[in-house]
Amino acid sequence: MEIMWIVILIGYAICAGQSILSLTTKRPVMSRFALASLAVAFGAHTAWLVVQGIRTGRCPLVGTQEMCAFLSWGLVLSYLIASRWYRANALKAFIFPIVFVLAAIAAIAPATPGRPDGLNSPLQGVLFPVHAGLILLAYSSFFIAFGAGLMYIIQERELKHKRLGTIFYRLPSLETCDDISFKAMAIGFLMLTLGIAAGLMWSRTRDGQYYHGDPVEIFTVFTWLIYLLLIQSRFSARWGGRAAALGSVVSFIIVVFSLVGVRYLGTLHGL
Amino acid sequence: MNIVLIGLSHRTSPIEMRERLAFSDAHISSALSGLIDQNVLDEGLIVSTCNRVELVASAPTDPQKGLDRLTSFLCDFHKLDLHTINGHLYRHANTEAIKHIFRVASSLDSMVLGESQILGQVKEAYQSAINAGTVGRVLSQLMNRAISVAKRVRTETGISQNPVSISSVAVELGRKIFGELSGHTVLLVGAGEMAELAARKLMEDGTGKLIVTNRSPERAEQIAREFAGSTVKFEAFYDVLPSADIVICSTGAPDYVIRPAETKQALRSRRKGPVLFIDISVPRNIDPAVAQLENSFLFDIDDLESVVGANLRERQHEAHAAEAIIESEVEQFLNTLRSLDIGPSILEVKELIAQLALGEFKRNRKRLGNLNAEQEAAIQEILIPALVNKLCHPVIVHLRHAAQSGEPAEVLDELRKMIRLD
Repeated sequence: MEIMWIVILIGYAICAGQSILSLTTKRPVMSRFALASLAVAFGAHTAWLVVQGIRTGRCPLVGTQEMCAFLSWGLVLSYLIASRWYRANALKAFIFPIVFVLAAIAAIAPATPGRPDGLNSPLQGVLFPVHAGLILLAYSSFFIAFGAGLMYIIQERELKHKRLGTIFYRLPSLETCDDISFKAMAIGFLMLTLGIAAGLMWSRTRDGQYYHGDPVEIFTVFTWLIYLLLIQSRFSARWGGRAAALGSVVSFIIVVFSLVGVRYLGTLHGL
Repeated sequence: MNIVLIGLSHRTSPIEMRERLAFSDAHISSALSGLIDQNVLDEGLIVSTCNRVELVASAPTDPQKGLDRLTSFLCDFHKLDLHTINGHLYRHANTEAIKHIFRVASSLDSMVLGESQILGQVKEAYQSAINAGTVGRVLSQLMNRAISVAKRVRTETGISQNPVSISSVAVELGRKIFGELSGHTVLLVGAGEMAELAARKLMEDGTGKLIVTNRSPERAEQIAREFAGSTVKFEAFYDVLPSADIVICSTGAPDYVIRPAETKQALRSRRKGPVLFIDISVPRNIDPAVAQLENSFLFDIDDLESVVGANLRERQHEAHAAEAIIESEVEQFLNTLRSLDIGPSILEVKELIAQLALGEFKRNRKRLGNLNAEQEAAIQEILIPALVNKLCHPVIVHLRHAAQSGEPAEVLDELRKMIRLD
């Protein structure tokens, strides 16, 4: 394991521990220390991605190591963006444990030195990172939606059962959770759509066909349809509040399970 | 230097007694000037609220005399016999007095533990004593420290975190559901006193709109006017239910006024997030089955009371941490006070040495030959004071150290003998 990854993992472990602890204590603990660790870890994480890109001469989006590294980086980025607009400290407790796990996978997974096929023209050089990057960022957005949805459900349960304990006071309001969840879902859906479009174009320029029948392709279309349905029902106001929150949680779980399933089917996406 | 305090509070005396011993705003400044008596008390301050009266003063020589003087002042001012008030008063000197004023400012002695009003009242009392000119270096140090201790207790413990009244719990619940209250609508079903209180708190905390309905429309009009809200006929309030985000119900009705079937309909036609129902009527006016509906949250009076109870217990638990902060702050302040004590002696020492130097200069003036006015002024105003400061510096440092370790008296005596101050 590179020394860089040790630094990154320690930083995220501190963030994860601190955010879970803060959820259950009356006062935020070690928040400055956690913020400093986050700055160091995220800085090192970004630097690793840049160095990896320069070393391989392509965007670091190939193979398990790079994908996990990029996905966890995207999660932290999404969190930073969400926390810019909302006072939702509790979100950290859902995000940083996952960030840590993904970063740990990246740290121990073997490096992927090769280049994928179809990076021959400048256009392809652009389409590939747009495709892979946007789709991974879309998944991190969906995760934020999942986390906010989960917070909604927990909070709703506490309210229904009139258990107003520490966790209750730590969570953001229902409306905030709902808002974060929906916006994250909408942004994620937009990125997923653009990512798929870029993938189709890349595929077309590479070997003349849009579609290969690859499990990952089928799975991605499936994901796209689920989120389309969720967003549509939000707009038609058929679902609101708890149902919408439940939707964002359940669909994310379905997506993750199918992603894991797809991984064992063998694909040209090399997940 | 001694700090003395007498007072009475909701813990020691009934409201009738506190009323008789209170100081109105109009009388505070005359009372303050009457309190000061150069020989016994040289600084004074009065905190007077509906729950307490506190007289704080600095007694330069004898704390016992100071306390007696405070007591007789309180009797004279309110024209009461000593034996009438004696049983209601507490009397504290020095450590106990400092601790008491810190606890009062930090709201540890309040009727509602952790309430925030008392700090404002303490600040006001301090300000009026400053205006009356009865605060000097001792009380100003004491009060500034009391205010900063109160702030420390507030930020470092959870003593004033969770709401402890029915109406503030309602507001807190509103916040937990809706985030910002602005842009949301409150529907008041029944215009009882409790409902009005909760509505007032919600409106003060920024709720956007108020709709009132009541069996007698006059009362509804009256409340609606006060909060710039609107009214709706009691028979027709189900029509506005879909637009309400927070529903507060307190009618005198013997049965359920808000029923699940109609409410379900209203929630469905609402097409947006959750609704908070607060039922503060006894017997209950909202059918408990309403709580089972999707996106509806129902709290009755017992639920609110139990939240209040739990939060109060939480505050009591936090009070232990606050007491520990107070203990250490009192200790620190005693040190400050001890170094304040040596202040006058330092001045005396400086004064004496300066006089000696100046005397010697004048005595030997002739030997120094011709000096112009400028040179003479330079010697008197620059050279001699600089020399005095240099000479006094180690003495002052030594005194401060002695003061902080708590034994300044012996060192001071020694010093006085050395330079023949006495």
